[in-house]
Amino acid sequence: MKKDSFYIKHIRPLIKHKVFTLILLFIAMVIMFTLWSAIQGGRFFKISTFKNILNSLVISAFLTIGAGCLLISGNIDLAQSAIGAFGGMVLATAVKSWGLPWYLGIVIGLVLCAAFGSLNALLVTKFRFPAFIGTLAMASMARGLMYLFSSIGNKGLAANIAFNNAPLSFIGAGSIGPIPLGIIIMLVFFIIYGIIISKSRFGLKVTLIGGNPVAASLAGINSTAITYILFINSAVLGGIAGVFNTARLGQGALLALQTNQFTGITAAILGGISFGGGAGGMGGAFIGLLILNTFQIGMGVVGVNPFWVNVFSGVLLLVALAFDFIAQRRSRSVLKAY
Amino acid sequence: MAKSLEFKGISKSYPGVRALNDISFTAQGGRVLALLGENGAGKSTLLKILSGDQKADEGEILLNGEPVSFHDPQAAINAGISVIYQERQLMPSMSVMENLYVGSLPKTKLGLYDKRKLYNNAKELIDRFNIDIDPVQLVGRLSVAYQQMVEIMKAVKRNSDIIAFDEPTAPLTDTEIKILFDIIKKLKDEGKVIIYVSHRLAEIFQITDSIVVLKDGHYVTSLETAQTNETELIKAMVGRDIGDTYNNLSRNTDFGDVVLDVRNLKTPYVHDISFQVRKGEIVGLAGLIGSGRTEVARALFGADPVTGGEIYLDGEKVSFKSPREAIDKGVALCPEDRKEEGLVMQRSIKDNIAMPVVDRVSKGLLIDPDAIRALAEKAVDKYSIKTPSIEKISSELSGGNQQKVILGRWTSEKMETKVLILDEPTKGIDVGTKAEIYQTICDLAKQGIAVVLISSELTEVINLSDTILTMHNGHITGCLTRQEATEEKVLALAMLE
Repeated sequence: MKKDSFYIKHIRPLIKHKVFTLILLFIAMVIMFTLWSAIQGGRFFKISTFKNILNSLVISAFLTIGAGCLLISGNIDLAQSAIGAFGGMVLATAVKSWGLPWYLGIVIGLVLCAAFGSLNALLVTKFRFPAFIGTLAMASMARGLMYLFSSIGNKGLAANIAFNNAPLSFIGAGSIGPIPLGIIIMLVFFIIYGIIISKSRFGLKVTLIGGNPVAASLAGINSTAITYILFINSAVLGGIAGVFNTARLGQGALLALQTNQFTGITAAILGGISFGGGAGGMGGAFIGLLILNTFQIGMGVVGVNPFWVNVFSGVLLLVALAFDFIAQRRSRSVLKAY
Repeated sequence: MAKSLEFKGISKSYPGVRALNDISFTAQGGRVLALLGENGAGKSTLLKILSGDQKADEGEILLNGEPVSFHDPQAAINAGISVIYQERQLMPSMSVMENLYVGSLPKTKLGLYDKRKLYNNAKELIDRFNIDIDPVQLVGRLSVAYQQMVEIMKAVKRNSDIIAFDEPTAPLTDTEIKILFDIIKKLKDEGKVIIYVSHRLAEIFQITDSIVVLKDGHYVTSLETAQTNETELIKAMVGRDIGDTYNNLSRNTDFGDVVLDVRNLKTPYVHDISFQVRKGEIVGLAGLIGSGRTEVARALFGADPVTGGEIYLDGEKVSFKSPREAIDKGVALCPEDRKEEGLVMQRSIKDNIAMPVVDRVSKGLLIDPDAIRALAEKAVDKYSIKTPSIEKISSELSGGNQQKVILGRWTSEKMETKVLILDEPTKGIDVGTKAEIYQTICDLAKQGIAVVLISSELTEVINLSDTILTMHNGHITGCLTRQEATEEKVLALAMLE
């Protein structure tokens, strides 16, 4: 009797929880790659593999957190990585061309990113643009301005801006003890945002808006203010990703975050955040990110042609979306039954 | 052979509601038949069955004496039946002629569509009706009236024998109505069967030849338009037995001071609205759909902009720019559409109850899960919401229990609701639960809440309210006490032209 209630109280909800399924999926993936590379006579469990996975996580992690929070509120930001790349370039320009200290460069970069974020929010709330369209236009503008910044101090030609800066290279590649600094910052961010989304007043409001914006506003939740905060948050986190990218490469790169345009959204959806909003959390998003990166790097370790890696990543996203849509359709048919 | 359309024993049920009950009548070619009834009488359901949009549970439709059965709207159209709904079914970004001939565009030898022929055909059709429309004009650029005419021409072009209109004059101006009536007369002279659904009695006397009255899904009577009058029609539309539901209610009889005082309120949708609600009083807003009741509610709640007039709450002048401001001053609204506007359906009961008071059940920046749970438990107890747990997802509750969750939200101990506005609180709710909700509303009044009740069910609004205000076309047209109100009086005021 007592055993039963323990099972019902603690074990069953755990199994039913989406994150649990995701962890199983992650483990299955690791096993798959281990066996695969064993067949080829190689080893998946190598320090270098893990280092690769962890390092590749950092930049995508900030994108995932920003995109995830917005998705939970039922919105989307396609400009995030472009804004981030812009922020990274501003940092490089500030350090190299203007001779500003590194921290001022970061602050200026992130403030400009925040401005982009609030423009996104303005388009969506005040002018009622679909977020898809509005942020797509902003993405183009951010990329354009990034080229413009890169041409400052370069005789008007757009080019990568390389610099030498010890604090920045520490941010990009340094470690505290054996653990890379980037990983520590990333984990701290995940924990803070996890608490915000799941435990705070703000997080509950974000989820309720995502579930039904009309009902939330008629129940007195100020969705405009929250939408502003989330778009600015998404842009600033994109900017942090851009800063890490610039710091790691030691240059403001023209192609920065180019391949990361949909990484944040993909990882968030893989991690069980509903595309339509109103469901999901940071724990899931983290696992989603792990799955996506392990998948991409694992494919490389077992020697799959990089072109195919992209194809399979697409398939992975389709599968995750299919699950989300099936779940949504099922809940809608429940609604219809009444 | 003369055209005719016969309904024979049509019945239709939705979960919890019997929308149509053994409806039988015949419409003859060359005549206009009016379908008349209150909101929810079953007119729209009948049209949906006629158009093949829904299937009847029982009974059959005879077209020119032959039984017909439609699986989808296209089958009905092919059989010669066109139903013209209030919502246009046109493609706004296409031209008039393309809309008219979609599905049967004339083709050239190369298989492209023949624009010249299309233009000529369309022009010919338009000229037949003597309407001033350019065939190449985009439909989206036309006024509502002209869009409606395009739809009528589409029906004529398909050579439909049966043409049904659902409240066609609602969006039209007087001149446009005249043009519409000319067209209807022309169609009638061509021997077509015309079915005309409208609330507007004056029009019915102007344009129809016979009238079928429906009530609560039942057939009441058939009348010749020339041999009846408004009084007789209104009488036919109302007058059912009310039962004991209302007599057994334990009501509040002790009213306090005026809580809500609305003076000359004006919004883009309603004009010159003035009324008062006292502490513990239930004031009902009666009127037809589209008369502006919901718009008054939204304006009071800060959900729609107010363009004129004043609102006083406990003697203090207020003007709400958002629902949040209204909620903080003690005004609450249970919206008409629970699923779209009331609840976050995929969230739990407790989240839905805590929604407006998230900031009041917190420890600093974090939420206080225990406080939220306690709040929800109390609401579940108070309104006997049938659920195994407060964690249950709202979409899995029945309509009645969903409504109780919303009532629980607005009357939790963290709220200080002084004015509660209920928009269609029993819509789609079964009879048993309705009675429970009626008593709940009376109990809330007893606790001193000023209640504004909006309902399309006349019996409900008359028997529950202490004072009944009737609305028509965005104006208040009358004010009756429960003792003096009868369905006839209220309906007459609500339909006043």
